[in-house]
Amino acid sequence: MHVIKGFLILLLFLLSGDALVTLLNLPISAGVAGMLLITLWFMLRGRMQEDVALASQPLIAVLAMLIMPGVVGVFFVAGRYADQWLAFVAALVVGTFLSVLTTLILMSRFTPKEPTKDEDRSC
Amino acid sequence: MLDSLLALPNHLFETPIAAIALTLLAFFAGNQVFQWMGRPSWCPGILIAALIVVLTLVLLSVNYEVYQQGAAWLVLLLGPATVALGIPLYQQMHHIRALWKPILFTLPPAAILAAVYSVLLAWLAGATPEVMASLAPKSVTAPIAISITEQLGGSIPVLMGGLLITGVMATFWVSVLVKILNIQDHRVIGFALGINGHAIGTVRAFELSPTAGAFSSLGMGLTAVFTALFLPIAWRLVF
Repeated sequence: MHVIKGFLILLLFLLSGDALVTLLNLPISAGVAGMLLITLWFMLRGRMQEDVALASQPLIAVLAMLIMPGVVGVFFVAGRYADQWLAFVAALVVGTFLSVLTTLILMSRFTPKEPTKDEDRSC
Repeated sequence: MLDSLLALPNHLFETPIAAIALTLLAFFAGNQVFQWMGRPSWCPGILIAALIVVLTLVLLSVNYEVYQQGAAWLVLLLGPATVALGIPLYQQMHHIRALWKPILFTLPPAAILAAVYSVLLAWLAGATPEVMASLAPKSVTAPIAISITEQLGGSIPVLMGGLLITGVMATFWVSVLVKILNIQDHRVIGFALGINGHAIGTVRAFELSPTAGAFSSLGMGLTAVFTALFLPIAWRLVF
């Protein structure tokens, strides 16, 4: 019963998210809005609801399965995009190289030194 | 007899049950094969599962669209599952509070640049608007990336291909660049894996250390939230 109750709460936040983005004409998706609303709700209450955590665990555990049908599509539509292969290589290989480089440089510049209790000899 | 046997797969796929069962079956089988292969970072388990579905559909000569319509009943759960991601986000809140300064200076530029680099390079290489919209959220974790690309008018299959390659490439480039730049702080390495390589990078980070894993989850979650807010708004202004 607790799982179903938690699932109902997730659905209610999804619907609230949908209502919010529709009424305010926001470009973000209903799911993302619902996620932010539920996080905000927990922050205001100062704790999580046990029911929601129970319903969330199995859903998060099967996330990979829920996105898998989308991956199946890749193999059926790939031929249609074959003429743009250079764009894919540029964006995915070179683009990812550049963004990894940027993140590492920014992050090592702004992160304070680790507290001395766990020294970096674990590397 | 043989004729009716050959027609059976298409009969079974008339209701969504067969597509849902096939998806679940491939998910478990894909996971099993992934374990046997020793959990390779270059070949995510989800890719193996998808290949099992593709092979089954081709062997049974079931139309891809028919499968997709049936699986849509299962994919519907992606909505509540996305809301459920608020729970780990809330649990990370103490990390965010403790390190808000480096996060504030790093995350927004890194997430913006990840999208800008990919769109710009794709545009220079002559990509169509649809492909650019599909590649823009390539560093974002899949459930949220799907909703972003729907907002931008991209193709979900193209996005999914881009996400998988990005995750694998981010893991590869982090391992190379960390050596060249001599970075040993697992918080930095984890964060870079999560921001750029979403769930695939996070799996790699947890193999390095729990600290790297925690920061990777944090980087992944914040990149998703930030990109989901900024990208559709920026897209509306530019296009």
